[in-house]
Parts: sequence; C-alpha cells; structure tokens
Amino acid sequence: MSETRNFCIIAHIDHGKSTLADRLIQHCGGVDARSFRDQILDSMDIERERGITIKSNTITLDYTAADGRTYQLNLIDTPGHVDFSHEVRRSLMSCEGAILLIDASQGVEAQTVANLYLALEYELELLIVINKIDLPSADVERVRQEIEADLGLDPSDAVLVSAKEGTGIPDLLEAIVRKLPPPALDREAPTRAMLFDALYDPYRGVVLYCRVKEGVIRAGQTMRLMHSAKEHHIEEVGQLRLKRVPTAELGAGSVGYVLAGIKTVRDVEVGDTLTDAERPAAEPLPGYKEAKPVVFSSLYPMATDEYPELVKALEKLVLNDASLTYEKDSSTALGHGFRCGFLGLLHLDVVQERLTREYDLSLLLSAPSVRYRITLHNGTVQWVDNPSYYPDPSVIARTEEPYIKGSVMMPERYIGPVMELCRERRGENIEFHYLAVGRVELTAELPLAEVLFDFYDRLKSITQGYGSFDYAMLDYRETDVVKIDILVNTEPVDALSQLTHRDKARARALHYCERLAEAIPRHQFKVAIQGAIGGKIIARTNIQALRKDVTAKCYGGDITRKRKLLEKQKEGKKRMKTIGAVEIPQSAFVAVLKTDTDS
Amino acid sequence: MSEAAAGLYLHVPFCARVCPYCDFAVRTGDAARRARYVEHLLAEIELYAGYPLRFDTIYFGGGTPSSLAVEELARILETVRGRLACAERCWVFLEANPEDASREAVAAWRRIGVDTLSLGVQSLDPAGLAFLGRRHGVDDARRAVEWAREAAFQTVSIDLIYGLPGQRPEDWRRELDRALALGPQHISCYQLTIHEGTRFGLLERRGRLTQLPSDEQGELFRLAHRHLGAAGFAGYEASQFAAGPEHRSRHNLKYWDHTPYLGLGPAAHSFHDERRWWNLRRTDPWQERIEHGERPVEGEETLEARALVLESLMTGLRTYAGVDLGRIRARWGVDLLSANGSLIDRLAAAGLVELDDGRLVPTLDGLAVADGLAAQFDLP
Repeated sequence: MSETRNFCIIAHIDHGKSTLADRLIQHCGGVDARSFRDQILDSMDIERERGITIKSNTITLDYTAADGRTYQLNLIDTPGHVDFSHEVRRSLMSCEGAILLIDASQGVEAQTVANLYLALEYELELLIVINKIDLPSADVERVRQEIEADLGLDPSDAVLVSAKEGTGIPDLLEAIVRKLPPPALDREAPTRAMLFDALYDPYRGVVLYCRVKEGVIRAGQTMRLMHSAKEHHIEEVGQLRLKRVPTAELGAGSVGYVLAGIKTVRDVEVGDTLTDAERPAAEPLPGYKEAKPVVFSSLYPMATDEYPELVKALEKLVLNDASLTYEKDSSTALGHGFRCGFLGLLHLDVVQERLTREYDLSLLLSAPSVRYRITLHNGTVQWVDNPSYYPDPSVIARTEEPYIKGSVMMPERYIGPVMELCRERRGENIEFHYLAVGRVELTAELPLAEVLFDFYDRLKSITQGYGSFDYAMLDYRETDVVKIDILVNTEPVDALSQLTHRDKARARALHYCERLAEAIPRHQFKVAIQGAIGGKIIARTNIQALRKDVTAKCYGGDITRKRKLLEKQKEGKKRMKTIGAVEIPQSAFVAVLKTDTDS
Repeated sequence: MSEAAAGLYLHVPFCARVCPYCDFAVRTGDAARRARYVEHLLAEIELYAGYPLRFDTIYFGGGTPSSLAVEELARILETVRGRLACAERCWVFLEANPEDASREAVAAWRRIGVDTLSLGVQSLDPAGLAFLGRRHGVDDARRAVEWAREAAFQTVSIDLIYGLPGQRPEDWRRELDRALALGPQHISCYQLTIHEGTRFGLLERRGRLTQLPSDEQGELFRLAHRHLGAAGFAGYEASQFAAGPEHRSRHNLKYWDHTPYLGLGPAAHSFHDERRWWNLRRTDPWQERIEHGERPVEGEETLEARALVLESLMTGLRTYAGVDLGRIRARWGVDLLSANGSLIDRLAAAGLVELDDGRLVPTLDGLAVADGLAAQFDLP
C-alpha cells in the first residue's frame, strides 16, 4: 500500500541541484507556471544569488507513474555547503534514497565524494544522475569513468538529464519510483520521528519538519522531544506542499510538518527525535550530533543607536538558524555588540548578509577566530575564542588550536602551488593521490585558523577555479599563539585585536596597519598606527597630517553651499568611530577585516 | 535699523569668454544684451526700493562688471543711491579685467566713485595666463595696475590664482614678488579649484588635468601667507591680504560675520534677519521674473541657531580674527566652548588653534585646514 518515496538530491555546488528540483516540481504539477520562480526551493535571496542552499526545504509531490499508480514523492532538499554538513546529515537520515547528481562537464568533485560517504553511512539507495548533458563541454563517458574510479559505483544505469532543458526528467521520475525503496511502515511501534529541520513562522510559531520512522503523529497528541525531554501539545500536522496542507495524521514513512505552538527554534534541537509522550519509544533515533560553532566573530552595529535593532534582528535570525550562537560582547572602540559562533566562514557570511540586507543594519565584524584550548599553569583549562579574554601569557602553560582535515580536488597540474599553499598555512601530513587520469586529491591537516584567512580565495586563484575544497574537524594540537593589538594614536582598537600564530604575527600586524592607513582619511594631525604584542611594537605605519583643505572662496552664495557640505560631513561622522581622536570610517574596518588578500 | 550697516552686491554676469576654471553665474553677451540686463537690474533695485537696510558698501562683482559701460555703472549707482538707504560714506568696489582697464576707463571708474578697484590679474606669468585661458597679457596687467594707482583709488587690489598643475614653490614666490612690485594695496590669492561642469572639470574627468596634491597646495598656501606677511601684506582671511586694515575688503567681511547683505542680479545671494535667499541663476529667467514685477528670487532658507553657528565657525576659522565665541553665545545662545572643551584643547595642542580672550583663532596651519576644523565641532 505504500506509494511513498523519500529521497534527497546530493551534489556539489553548481551541479544543478536546485534546477533539477524545480524541474521535478514542475513536472509533477507542484506549481503552476505563473507562480513558478526558478529554483523555487531556494527561498532566501542570498541562496538564489550564490546558487547555494542553506536552509533545507522539503516538498511533497504527486507523481503518476507508468504503472498507473500515483506516488507521493517527498523531495528533501539538502544544503549544499560544507559548513552545513550537520544539516545534510539530518536530511539524509530522513530518506531511503538519494539522487547523486553529477555535472556532465565538471565530473566528480570533492563534495560529491564527501556527500556520497554520508549517504553510504546512512545506507541510502543511490540513483546516479548525470546532469547538464546539453552543455557543449559535457563528457558523459569521462564522468562515467570517474564514477567508477572515484566513487566505486556502477555507472551503467546512470540517468542522463538536462535539468535546464527538461531532458530526461520523465525517465528520472520513473527511476525514482522503480529503484528507490519504499519506506518501512511500522505504524504500531511507539512513535519515532526525525526532526530534520525547523523554521519559524511569525503566525504559527516554530514549524517542525519531520520524517516519521515508526508510529503515527496526530494533532492533539502530546509529543516529547527525546534529547531535550521537552513536551509540547501538537496543534496541527500536515504535508509540505508549496503551502502547508493540514492532514489528519502523519504515519510511518511519511514526511511532513508539525505545529506545536513552540515559540523559537532555540526550544528545539534539529536532529532530535519526536515521540508520543503517552507511549514513548525506548530509544531515540541514532545519529544525533550537536552542531558546534567553530568560527567566532563579534558583531557591532556601526551606529551605536542601532544596537536595539541588532538585538531584535539576531533574536529573529536565530528563530530560523539554530546553529548560530550569540552572547553579549562589548568593545571600548565599537560599543555593545555580540560574540557570535558560526559553523564556518560561509555561515558567517550568510548571517552578515542577512543582517545587512534583511534587517538593514550596518555592521562591523571583528576578525574571525577559532576557539583555542588554553591550559594554565594551575591546571585549569579555558576555551578562548575572543581575544579580549586571552589570559596573561605568563599564566599559560599550553595552548592548543583546532585542526581540520582538508581535501582539495584539482587537475594534476596545480599540485605544486597547492602543496606550497598548504605548507605556507602550516599544513601537516600533506598527501595526494590520483583519482583518475589527470585528477588529484590532496589531503592535509591544517590549523582551522589558517583556513579562515583567504584560503578559499587563494586556492581558487592558484587553481584558476578548478580546485575545490572540503574539510572536516580533526583534533586539537599544541600551538604557539600571541595576541596582536592594533593601536591608533597609541589607543588600542580592541575590535581589531586577534590571536595568531607567533610566526605570522609580524606580517599580519603590518598588513593590518597598512590596510588601516590606506582606509583612514587624513586628519589635521599625524596619525600613528601600530601593531603590538603586549607592550612591544612589532609593526608601524603613519598617516601624514592633512596639510590643506581650506577652499579658496567663501562669499555670499558659497556660504549656503559650503554649510550644506559641512552638514553632510557632520552627518557622516556620526557613522564613524572615534578612537584616540581619530575618526575611523566603517569602510576602514571593513577594509581591514576583509579577508580576501591577507598576507 | 539698529544693525550694522549692510552690504549691497550687484552681480554682472557677463564675460567676454568663460574661463575654463570658472563655475560662477556667467555668460557671454553683446552690448545690446548688457544694456537689457542693466535695465532689468535697475528694475530689480526698484523692487527693493525702501528696503529696510542701510548700506555702506556697494560691490560690483561678476562675471566682469568692467564689461559694462561707465555710463551704465554710473546709472546703477545713481539708482541705488536714490532708491536704497545708503550711508553718507559708501564704499564702492568694482571688479575689472585688465583688458577692459584702459587709462581712460580706469580714470572714469574713479570719477564715478569707485573706491576699490579689484583687477583680475590671475597670473603674472605668460604660461599661467595661457593655461587659465585669460585674454590679457602680463603687460596688460602691469599697465592696468599702474593706471589704477595713478587714478588714486582708495585701494587697488589684484587677484591671483595659484596651485596650477606643476607650479613649484619657487614659481609661486616669483609671482608673488612680481605682484608686490606692482604696488597694490590688497592682494587676493585663490587656489585653483577644479569644479564639475567647467572645462577644467571635464579635463580632470578625462584624466588630462590633475589638481595639485593637497600637500603641495598646502606648501603654496603657507608660502603666500608667510611671504606676503613678511612684505607687509598681512593676511586677514584664507585668501585675502591687505597692506593695512583700511585696505581690507569691508564688503567681504560682512559675509563672514552675518552682517546683512542684499544681492541683486542673477544668482546673487542675500542675507537678512537670519534668512538667506537667492536669485534665479540664469539671466533670462531672472529678467522674465522682473518683467512680471516680482523679485526674481529662486529660493530661500531660514537659518536656525545651529546653522548660523556652523556658518560662523566655517567662515570665522578662515579668518585671522577667528571666531568670537562670546558673540556667538550672546547672539545665538550657543556655548561652543563648554561643548567642545576637549576638542579645542586637542586642536590647540596640535598647534591648529589658539584661544585668545574669548576668541578661537586659527594658526596658519589651522587656517590651511579650516574646512576640516569646522566640521569637528559639536553644536549643542
């Protein structure tokens, strides 16, 4: 009786996942042509612009197959970036099958491999789809070889499609119902449902997305979240069509939503297991992992009077982003702000962009930092991700920093420069092996801190865009860290302080000084910009005093014009930070903290 | 009328040719156009007949006021005296181009009552004059100054433009020496400013002309103030130097301390009773409005205390006399000193200003950066 298929699409960025999802939705009549927007599942603007999926979305489609039966296809969308791999996991846990999507011209990429391993970990049935066969550069044969060589999969029944042109979509739909297994349908067992996503609806509170593994979920039930042990009264359940469609129940095997009057996504942990409070399951579903932030940065409103708005914006943002952490922070230079934890640099970028764009805030971000493990002489251990809380070096016995295992896939010709980059970034155990003729995977153990600074950009430019990078957290290793302070006219700009490896301190301090000197307009007096470790100056630049700005004439008509100019200038000053009598425009902080061309 | 005597500004928009650096309200025009303009100016004076201000300075500015016939200037002065309240001793200023300043013309200007003749010499270097697109030569300028001295004006003033691309301090010093050698009583030194919408602006945008870097401008600025000061021409404003207090432009001073002034002619600005208004900029619409019997005003603003104080800082910090803090407090109730104590201390420590008996006086270094200084003050 089961006519359900639960599946996701896993792919490297740009391999066309969203376009394929759109095509499937269109083909199944999930949306009429008028309201169809390309890549309908990527609902955030940022996702659309960057072509990546951050929040997973899910949709139920009706498909009438060649056998005459109508299937309910639950397409569970997965985020497409390494920072969000925990979200990928939860999505995968909710499926029986996965479409492994590969670009016919790009072939197998780093992330394809990483996602494949995840899919195998969750024992998903795989359906290989080769996309973009319409491209002149498509090389289906080569991709088939890579699938066999790199992934160890049988490429013979790969479905060929062009999501853009709609080619091969009917074949793919048939393959989904024929090849992907139906879910198990144990309705009698105690209820267990995987909570794989949650988002906030201003009218209904938190919407829980879940996959019922066993049992049934109904409105009126009291549900218990097994990890957090919280209980909630279920108000409504239903299917995720383009809109939410209430149903009487969600039975084993199905995917849908649950409304339970929950106020914020903080109150639920994605990855948790829902059960019936009256007849609870003995064990939660396996595979729960807490998403831990690994990158930290402080956010300050550029205008101090925007602080209350930043508070509100963050409160709203975390309703939908359970992996973002924040706590109050304050800086003498920049006033009140928040220390935020992110899953990675992209996550940081996305949060910053959303705050700027959706909440119209002008923000300053301090230099991103990793979390150091610091052991003091007295044996106590401190975790420090904020330079402000870095202990006096004399009490520190030992400092450790997080390492990642990074993997770079690239054409063979770039191996030399990429190895050099990894060495420059304090990489250890650099190894490489051939994936196929001409394609190499290089792996290295790298300090995460070294990856935070323009690593992606350097890698991209070194490999002319052909290199892809992926990483996983590895362990903590002993390191030698110093705290650099940046001083403007001898006053420290605390937001620019950062922890860095001793060997890199001088270069980084000088780089910061120079950036700042370029970005701060000349003042009526000389401005000294220094980098220091403790009291010791290790880098210095000056901004010479402005020697002349007085305009030639100031008579009748000029006075109004000139005054208006001054008023504008004064208005602009409100958005500057004054440190050591030096006015620093936001653009200066932005220029300094930009990570694109770090030394 | 308890106020200080007001200034009257008369804008003559005509130039034989528009200079490549000029962004003033100017136009070219033949004698017939000029005559028509004069009729309209006289009509505008009529529209202000009996205006409740008493004037003790009359300033013909432009454009090129010397492009008007002497008779036209005389008629204008006569109408002003007949229709507006003028002080018994009313100081008349006339801007003139050297090419218009024949011996006869100069003598005639003096005869009709011009006290200060301000000659647009601009440069005493042939290459400089050519670059600035001027029609006269260095010798025309020399002769004009000479004749002006012969005609015994109260003050003969010359305008110079500096900061030309590539100008070195020694070039500028030589030019200042040449200017001093002509024996004027007043010198205005204007740094070349490239404005949008001028020929130079266009050239700059195309990358064919670059403004002198501000450090070099600063050097020439200081050189002018030191060199002319040493020669007995004390500076009294960022661009103005006089051989004695009696030769200072008592008309321009009114702009800088919110003394009322009435401006007639296209684009002219007026200030009275904390209100500033300005005329239509282009000559034809200006004339049309007058023909309708209306004052040809394009816009106006009422200045609040904050704006007035900001203007006082902006103009005051450009002058050697500085900003009279007591006067600002008395006039607009704003105590700049208590609101900006630490700023003033810092600027004083940096050698940019001095506090002198309730006045905030810029040093020469302060004067050079007066625009930026004014923007620093908190206006409570």
